Amino acid sequence: MAYQLYRNTTLGNSLQESLDELIQSQQITPQLALQVLLQFDKAINAALAQRVRNRVNFRGSLNTYRFCDNVWTFVLNDVEFREVTELIKVDKVKIVACDDTGSNTTE
Amino acid sequence: MANSANTNTVPKLYRSVIEDVINDVRDIFLDDGVDEQVLMELKTLLPRCLGICGWHSLWENKLMQSRAVDGFHSEEQQLLLQVQQQHQPQQQQHHHHHHHQQAQPQQTVPQQAQTQQVLIPASQQATAPQVIVPDSKLIQHMNASNMSAAATAATLALPAGVTPVQQILTNSGQLLQVVRAANGAQYIFQPQQSVVLQQQVIPQMQPGGVQAPVIQQVLAPLPGGISPQTGVIIQPQQILFTGNKTQVIPTTVAAPTPAQAQITATGQQQPQAQPAQTQAPLVLQVDGTGDTSSEEDEDEEEDYDDDEEEDKEKDGAEDGQVEEEPLNSEDDVSDEEGQELFDTENVVVCQYDKIHRSKNKWKFHLKDGIMNLNGRDYIFSKAIGDAEW
Repeated sequence: MAYQLYRNTTLGNSLQESLDELIQSQQITPQLALQVLLQFDKAINAALAQRVRNRVNFRGSLNTYRFCDNVWTFVLNDVEFREVTELIKVDKVKIVACDDTGSNTTE
Repeated sequence: MANSANTNTVPKLYRSVIEDVINDVRDIFLDDGVDEQVLMELKTLLPRCLGICGWHSLWENKLMQSRAVDGFHSEEQQLLLQVQQQHQPQQQQHHHHHHHQQAQPQQTVPQQAQTQQVLIPASQQATAPQVIVPDSKLIQHMNASNMSAAATAATLALPAGVTPVQQILTNSGQLLQVVRAANGAQYIFQPQQSVVLQQQVIPQMQPGGVQAPVIQQVLAPLPGGISPQTGVIIQPQQILFTGNKTQVIPTTVAAPTPAQAQITATGQQQPQAQPAQTQAPLVLQVDGTGDTSSEEDEDEEEDYDDDEEEDKEKDGAEDGQVEEEPLNSEDDVSDEEGQELFDTENVVVCQYDKIHRSKNKWKFHLKDGIMNLNGRDYIFSKAIGDAEW
């Protein structure tokens, strides 16, 4: 089972909202929606692993850190993200990182 | 162009993921007995069929709404969909109901159908009170009037529940004022009459509880003049009570209200159970909420309040900490994480290869991440970072 980590992204959230609306209008069942989300997890994990090949650097100051259930959560301030092509500055960013060695069991 | 690398790859990746998911779930859909027509129905509502089935166009619309991905759709579609963010598709049943009723107009013009489709996937807001279902109808008929997408979008730009008075600008430049009452009822006033809205009121009377019924408004454009009053919708049963000044019905008491509601709805389950209340309209209620001799109670309550305040000061209670316990309030140094109101919480969702710390110097080795920074999406296969704590 792949990480459900990516459900809280633009892509994942929009998918969930769409599924919720279909459920509301009773065009699909919640169970089906869950299946779709599980399929999404697999697809996004695979796509990120295979189709993306770029690198980013970043620097900032660490505000908080948390390590729980093998998940790191950081909050950084005044961060600069640097890619080859562009520079992105943010005042605050939250980083949620799961362990890359193996995946969690789904709920 | 500095932005070309990521802005090109992100939508492409998203599209490929969407297509993969669609393909994979199509089998699941069929196995589950979901009619392919469901997918097709949504597909026809799309302006541009980028993918295979219409269902995921709903998804793409959402992506568009989030505006995190550039170049996913044209700007026109974006404009249309931005408006949808403010719509609340709460009355989904009625949306569905209206679907059946208005099957034909949907198929006439694909662009108009698109606007309707756009309506449906509007963003959901949990706290929204009743949304006017009629918006979908309104739009349908505005579509029938050959409104452009932009005009429709402008028309739809009503943040329901946000402003008490909203103005709908129809295609002929009419101003429909939508007034949202305190109890969530919406009245539509037509100052002018070129596009007339017929509205059916279908209140849902529910015994045993005070419910603001859902108003279904079937809007149909009518030529000719119609008195502005036709546009006014009457609303939930609660209005009946407000008109009845002789009786003050506390909202906590649910029983009497449905009693009267039942009467108007020709349901009479409860009136007999509350003989005292049925006689209430004839008698001026002077106790309960209409009690005027409450001075004694107030004095007693004030005494209690003073005592409670003293206790609070002694205990250093959590409430009222700012004024009463200025000393303690300065002990907390850390900031709240939600200290500011901002549109975008910059989030990075990824996996970590290695997290290293030396004294207060942290090093991050991350991979396979999706970032949302300043409202835009970025993706990386590898990220290395430094931070000082």
